[in-house]
Amino acid sequence: MTPTKVKKSGSSEVSVIVAVQNQKEALAALHDQLLTLLQSGSRRFELIYVDDGSSDGTWGELARIQQTCSRVKAIRLRSSFGEASALDAGFRNSSGEVLVYFTCRVHVNPLHVIQLLSRIEQGYDVVVGRRTPRRDSRLNQLVSHLFNGLVNRISKTQLHDVNSGVLAARRVVLESVPFYGSLNPFLPVVAQRQGFKIVEEPVEQLTGRFNQSIYPKNYIKRMLDLISVLFLSRYSKKPLHFLGFVGVIFTLIGAAISLYLFIYRALGIGGISGKPMLLLGVLLLIIGIQMISIGLLGEIIIFTHADSIKEYNIEEILN
Amino acid sequence: MISNRYFSQSCEMKPTNLPKQNPPLPAAGQPYLSVVAPVYNEVENVERLWDALYPVLQALNKPYEVILVDDGSRDGTREKLRELAARCPMLRVILFRANFGQSAAMAAGFEASRGDIVVAMDSDLQNDPTDIPLLLAKMAEGYDVVSGWRKDRKDKWLLRKVPSKIANRLICSITDVRLHDTGCSLKAFRGEILRRISLYGELHRFIPALTRMEGARITEMAVRHHARRFGQSKYNLSRTFRVIMDLTTLRLLMRHLRNPLSFYFQFAFWTMSGAVLCLAAGCYKVIHQHLPWSDLNILFTLIVLLTATSLQFVFLGLIGRIIVESGSRRTFYLKTPPVS
Repeated sequence: MTPTKVKKSGSSEVSVIVAVQNQKEALAALHDQLLTLLQSGSRRFELIYVDDGSSDGTWGELARIQQTCSRVKAIRLRSSFGEASALDAGFRNSSGEVLVYFTCRVHVNPLHVIQLLSRIEQGYDVVVGRRTPRRDSRLNQLVSHLFNGLVNRISKTQLHDVNSGVLAARRVVLESVPFYGSLNPFLPVVAQRQGFKIVEEPVEQLTGRFNQSIYPKNYIKRMLDLISVLFLSRYSKKPLHFLGFVGVIFTLIGAAISLYLFIYRALGIGGISGKPMLLLGVLLLIIGIQMISIGLLGEIIIFTHADSIKEYNIEEILN
Repeated sequence: MISNRYFSQSCEMKPTNLPKQNPPLPAAGQPYLSVVAPVYNEVENVERLWDALYPVLQALNKPYEVILVDDGSRDGTREKLRELAARCPMLRVILFRANFGQSAAMAAGFEASRGDIVVAMDSDLQNDPTDIPLLLAKMAEGYDVVSGWRKDRKDKWLLRKVPSKIANRLICSITDVRLHDTGCSLKAFRGEILRRISLYGELHRFIPALTRMEGARITEMAVRHHARRFGQSKYNLSRTFRVIMDLTTLRLLMRHLRNPLSFYFQFAFWTMSGAVLCLAAGCYKVIHQHLPWSDLNILFTLIVLLTATSLQFVFLGLIGRIIVESGSRRTFYLKTPPVS
C-alpha cells in the first residue's frame, strides 16, 4: 500500500539511540549484545550512543567502540542535559525510519529491542516497553503505579509503564508530536490522540546496579508535566476556553458577593466595612477578570503565530 | 480520450447539455475552482455528493478540483472515499489520522486548495451544488467572499433554527460583518484571501470575520437548502460557552490587534478610577468626619487591591503589545500588485 521511498545511500532503516551516563563498565557488554542482536536481523541499522556528560571515562569507551564498528555513531553532550535531551540529540542525528530509544538507566534486557521492532513491523506506530517483572525499589514501583493510573485516567489510554525508558516509534510519529523527538513520558499519550496506533510490549528488567534516585526526585516535576500536557493538548490553541471558564466562575461568585453586600449596605441593615466578605468578593472579581485577561493574552499569542499552527495529522492524500 | 474516461465510469450521472469540449486536465497548473467539503461519518452521502457536484462543475467548463477532507470517520466513509478517488481524478481526498474537528478539516482543505476561487460546503447534501455557478457569478461582480443565506431553511425549528438565529445576531453584532446567515456553510472565497487566514480551535464559525480582517469585500446571496436525508446531524447546543469565548477573542482581535494596550487600558482605567474614588472617600472621612485612620482598614485594602490590579492590566497590555510587535502579521494587504 505505502509507496516505496527512495532511500539515500547510507541511510538506515532502524536507528537505535542509547542514552548513556557514567556506564563505563557496563557499556562494552551492552554494545556487544545490541550489535549481535541487530546484526542477526536483516534490517539496515545504526547504533547511536549519546553520552550525557559522563565524568567517569564513558566517552573514552564510546570512542573506542565507535572505532571498531562503522554502524556506530557516538555523540557527546557538553555537559549533562538530562536523558530526554540526550535522546533528542540522538534523534536529530539519526536517519532511520524506525527509532528505538533505549536508556541505560532502567537496565532493561537489550534482547527485547527486537520484540519492539517486530511490533512496529506488525503495523503499530509506537511500542512502549513495560517492565515486567520490575526490579527497582518498591517506592519507585508504587509512585510509578500511581502515576500511570493517573495518566490513564485522564488520557483514556491503557498503559502501565509510560516511563519505562524503552520505546520504539516511527519517525513520522516523533515528527508530529509537539515535543519533538524527546522521550517525554507523555509521548505515547499524545501520539494516541493524534491517531497513531500504540501498543505495550513487556520487557524484562535486569537486576543489578542502576540509578534509582532519578524517579522519586522528579515526581513533582512529572505531576506538573502532566498538568501542562493536559492543558496543552486540550487548550493550547484556545487558552480562553479554559481560563475564560474559570475566570467567569470567579467573576460571577465575586459579583454575587459584592451585590449582596451592596444591598446589605444600601438597605441600611448594617455597616460592611468590618466584613472580610467584602475583601473576598473584590478579590474573586479581580482574580476572575485577570484570568480572562490572561486568557485573552494567550489568544493574542496564538493568533499572531497562527501561521505555524497545524492542528491535524494527515494520514494520506489521494490524487 | 479523456472524456471517455469520465463518462465510461460510474461517477458520471451524465448531464445531457454538457459542452462538447475536452474536460480540463486534473492537477495541471492551477484550477479555477476548488470545492472543499469536510466529511465526518457520511458514508451514505459522499458518493451522492460527488454525483451531484460532478455535472455542475463539469458544466462550468473550467478547470476545477474537489477536495474532500475526512476527519477520522469510522463508518466506512474512508473506504468509500478511496474508491471514489481511484476513479475520479478531479477528486482529491485528504484522510486524517484521527478526529481533529471541523476547523482542522477545513484548514487542511483550504491549505490544499489551488483554485482562484474556493467554494466551501457541507458534505451532508443540505447545500445544493447547483448554487455554485450563481455564487461564481456573484464573485465575478468583484466580491471576495459570497456567503450563502438559507432563506428557506429546512431544519428543526426549535433545535436548529432558533439557536442559529440568536448566534447569527450575536456574531454579526460583535464581528461587524452584517450577514443574515453566517452559519451557512456554502460560501465562495477568493482563494488568495482564504489561504491567508489560519483556522484553528473552532474558528471555522467565524470565517467571514477572519476574511474581513484581511480586507475582504463580503456579500451574501440566497441559496437553496434541503432537509437532511441520510446520516445524522452533528450539531448540538453545548458549545455555547466556547462560542461566546471565541467571540470575545474575535472582538479583541478585530479592534485591538494593532495595539492590545488600548484594550487592557480600559480595564486599567476603571480599576484605577475605583482606587482614586476609595482614596477620596477615605480622605473625606478622615478630614471632615474626623474618623481615625484605623477605622478605614477595608477601604485602604480596597485601594491597594485596585491599584495593583490596574497596574497588572497595564503590564498585560504592554506584554500584548510586545507579542504583537514580535509577530510577523502584516497590517495591510494590497488589492492589486503595485503599479510601476
